Formats: sequence, structure tokens, C-alpha cells
Amino acid sequence: MSTTEQAALHTGHTSTAAPRNEIRIEDLTVQFPDNKGGEPVVALSNVSLDIRRGEFISLVGPSGCGKTTLLRAIADLQQPTSGRIIVRGLFPREIRMQKKYGIVFQSPVLYDWRTVRRNVCMPMEIMGIPKKQRTATVTEMLELVGLYNFGTKYPHELSGGMQQRVGIARALAVKPEILLMDEPFSALDEFTKEKLQEDLLTIWEKTQKTIVFVTHSISEAVFLSDRVVVLSPHPGRLSAVVDIDLPRPRSLQTKQMPEFYEYVNKIRNSFEGV
Amino acid sequence: MTAGKAGKVLWPLAVGVAFLAVWQLGGIHALLHFKPFQLPVPLTILETVIDNLPKMLSDTWITASGALTGMIIGSLLGFLVAVIATMFPKWGYPGLTLVSLFNAIPIVALSPIMNRWFDDGFGQKVGVVTVVCMATMAINSYRGLNDLRPFTLDLMDSYAAPGSAKFFKLRLPNSLPSIFTALKINIANGLIAAMISEYFASSTAGLGFSIKDNLRKAMMAKGWSCIVMAALVGMLLYSVLTLVERRAVKWHASQNK
Repeated sequence: MSTTEQAALHTGHTSTAAPRNEIRIEDLTVQFPDNKGGEPVVALSNVSLDIRRGEFISLVGPSGCGKTTLLRAIADLQQPTSGRIIVRGLFPREIRMQKKYGIVFQSPVLYDWRTVRRNVCMPMEIMGIPKKQRTATVTEMLELVGLYNFGTKYPHELSGGMQQRVGIARALAVKPEILLMDEPFSALDEFTKEKLQEDLLTIWEKTQKTIVFVTHSISEAVFLSDRVVVLSPHPGRLSAVVDIDLPRPRSLQTKQMPEFYEYVNKIRNSFEGV
Repeated sequence: MTAGKAGKVLWPLAVGVAFLAVWQLGGIHALLHFKPFQLPVPLTILETVIDNLPKMLSDTWITASGALTGMIIGSLLGFLVAVIATMFPKWGYPGLTLVSLFNAIPIVALSPIMNRWFDDGFGQKVGVVTVVCMATMAINSYRGLNDLRPFTLDLMDSYAAPGSAKFFKLRLPNSLPSIFTALKINIANGLIAAMISEYFASSTAGLGFSIKDNLRKAMMAKGWSCIVMAALVGMLLYSVLTLVERRAVKWHASQNK
């Protein structure tokens, strides 16, 4: 992409964007070649979506709806077949090169040979952040996720929930502009999950990051998000976008509110219409 | 030391001592209908080792130094092949397959070949051990460098990590357990290869040569003393390696029993 194009994109973005547009997905299609040489599998078909800066947005849908593919496309870990994604006026690749993404995967993806502290430290080492600053940030992040006393432990010494928190601390440590989370709590038990959901909201309110959150749990999406994007499968396409007007800060009591159930039902019904 | 840990050491020790006692008292001879001269008893072997200590030690040194040199060269070369195969999969992987073919060459064939290539017994021995160790290390470390857990590479990519960071911070530490596995196999195989190569060597020393020479002359106790020395060297190297491994990969599941 040439510099003029970039500049054009950038101005286009600032002038047309509704209040502080963060990510613009335009007519995105992603196909995977079929291994047996048959028709390519369409993971995402003509998806368009605008994500606002500082927004907590969730992508929900049954398996095969392409929600993870969409997240990976934003992260530049998956190339679109057609259409494009613009993040802050730039292509995802440039945002990735500028190291503005923090990603939390389905599994914690910790490096077994590193202690908790050194796992959180790893991305900062890659980015060449001075050691003194790294140490300070690690301490700050471990305090944020409530693992300050576990810094010298190895991953295998932690529970699944603690490991996932290390993954979150690591993603936050590089002060990313955009946090991409791919079913980060799906492997956890209900109690740990609820705790981490609340923690995540606290962190989000503190840091004001844009969070794109993939989940297959409707109630989780409603509880966390400003907006819930419903995707339907075969081929993956956008079927509804639901604004969640629940008061913040949210807590376990939010889940008792009748409005909460209304949103959950509304989204569930939008699936049945598929 | 806790009771459990003590048990871990004491039980195998007790079984070993019991086995030696049965052997010493003629149990094995009775069971397999051996004449006394066919199988010397442990105390006779021990006596022979002590009586011939200087010769035993020099034979052991000759074999062990050759084996160790070959193990180091072979393991380094094997690791290098694995690294190249990882960095340039297109032509590196076929290269790895080629190296693993060396694994199929029997040592009894390799030894006479190396004998033609090298003038002295040491060079021939190192050559045989190198070839034997190289394939094991290449195959194992290649696996360690490439069997990465899901998303670990994606994580690196998401931070736009350069190739060097991917290698030193992810692939290399990930391969350490496999490297130690290969080294353990190489200690056993390397010693065996060194001794077998001495069967075919023009040299007139070393444990392999002494075993062949003494057994041919029906000096069973002397032959068995050489076997004892070889076993001791193997155990010593294995123990040292295990200690190093325990420190180097204390994070790995195999170290947390």
C-alpha cells in the first residue's frame, strides 16, 4: 500500500467516522481451501461492521460461524479473501507491526519454561522495553490480575483460572490499544469464570481499551458488552447487532435484572430465526 | 530425605544387592545349568578389576574418551541439521530424512568402513559414534523445535516478533526436553558403538578390544571386568546428564514426579 493511499485512508477515516471509529470491517470474506480439493469452505461471507473506540464488543454464535476467524482477521493472523479491515486508518498488518494488539487465546498459551513473571515479561522483551521498566510493569500487571504472590511459580503450578489470568496480564502488559480475546474463559469453571468476567470489566473500565471478545455464551456476551454481534454459520455471516443498555458498572446483580434476561432471550431468538 | 524418596532409592538398591547375592551363591548357575568357568561370580569379577586396575582404567579411558568425543561432535552436528531443517523447511527437511537414513546403517558395517577412512583407532571410533549419535539428535531436536503448542507461534506473530526471537525464546527452550532425551539415548548408543568399533579396529586397546581379546582367550573374569567398567562409565555419564537436565528443564512435566 502506497503512502498516498494510506493518507487517503486516514483522512477518509477521520472525516467519515462516527464518533472515534476504531475498527472498520468492510465486506469481509474469508475462504479456506478444501483439503480434498473440493469447494473452498466459506468461513466468513460479506461481513461489515464498525467498532467504536473504547467499546466492549462481543462476537457470539455457534461453532462454525466464523467468530474466531473474524478476530484473527482483525489481528492479521488470517488474511481476508476479499474485502478489507481498517484499524485506525491503517491495515491490520501495520497495527500488528506497531504492536498495538494484545491477544488472549482460548488456552492460556504460557511458555512452560518461564515463570509467571517472565511469561508476562516476554512480549516486552520482544519490544525491547528496558529491563527496569519491564520489572515495574510486570509487578503492576500481576497486581491488577491478583497474582502478585505467584510471580515465581511455573505455569504447571497454577490452576487453569490463574493461568488464564497470566495470559490476560501478559496481553495488557504491552499497553495495547486494542485487546482481542478469543473465548478466554470457555475452559474455566463457572465460579472462576464469573470472577474473571467481573475482573475484566474492572480492568476495562480502568484502562479504557477497545475490547473485541469472542464467546459462544450468550449470557457472557450480554453481561460484558456494549454491543453484541450475532454471527450465524454456514457460511459465517453477520445476522444481528444488539445494543446492550444495561447500567455500568455491572456486577453479579446485573445478571438478576429482568432486562438482562430480555437481552439474552432476544439474542437467542435471533439464532432460532437463522 | 522423606520416607518416599528414601524408598525410591532403597528398593532398587535392595533388588540389586539381592540379585548379586543370588549370582554369587550360584543361583544363576543352577538355574541355567552353567559350569563355574562359563560365568564368573561377582566377587571374582571385582577381584579381577582391582588386580588389573591400571590396565582397566587405561582401557576405559581410551573407550570413554572416544565415545564422548563422538557423542559431542555427533550431537552438535545433529542439532545443526535440525536447526537448518527448521529454518529452511524446503530443502532442510529432505536433508533431515537423509541424515535419519544413517540410523539404518548397522554399526558392524560402519566400523570397517571407518577403519578404511581413519589411520588410527581413535579417529575411527569417533567417526562411528558421530554417525550413530547425529541421526538420533537430528530427529529428536527437530521434533522439539517444531512440535509447538497451539497458538504459541501466533502469540509471537501478534507481537511482530522477529525470527531470532521466535527461535531463542520459543523453539529452542521448547526443544530442550527432546535434546536431553536424545543425549540420554546417545550415551548408551555411543558407548556401544565405540566398543563395537574396537572389535574391528587396528588398535590393540580399549574396553571393546579387551572384551573380545579376553573372551577369545577364555579369560572370562577379565572380560566381565571390562563389561563392569563399561557399565560404570555409562551410569556415570547418565547420572551427570540427569543432574544437568534436572536444573535445565525443571519446568518440564517429566521433572515433577
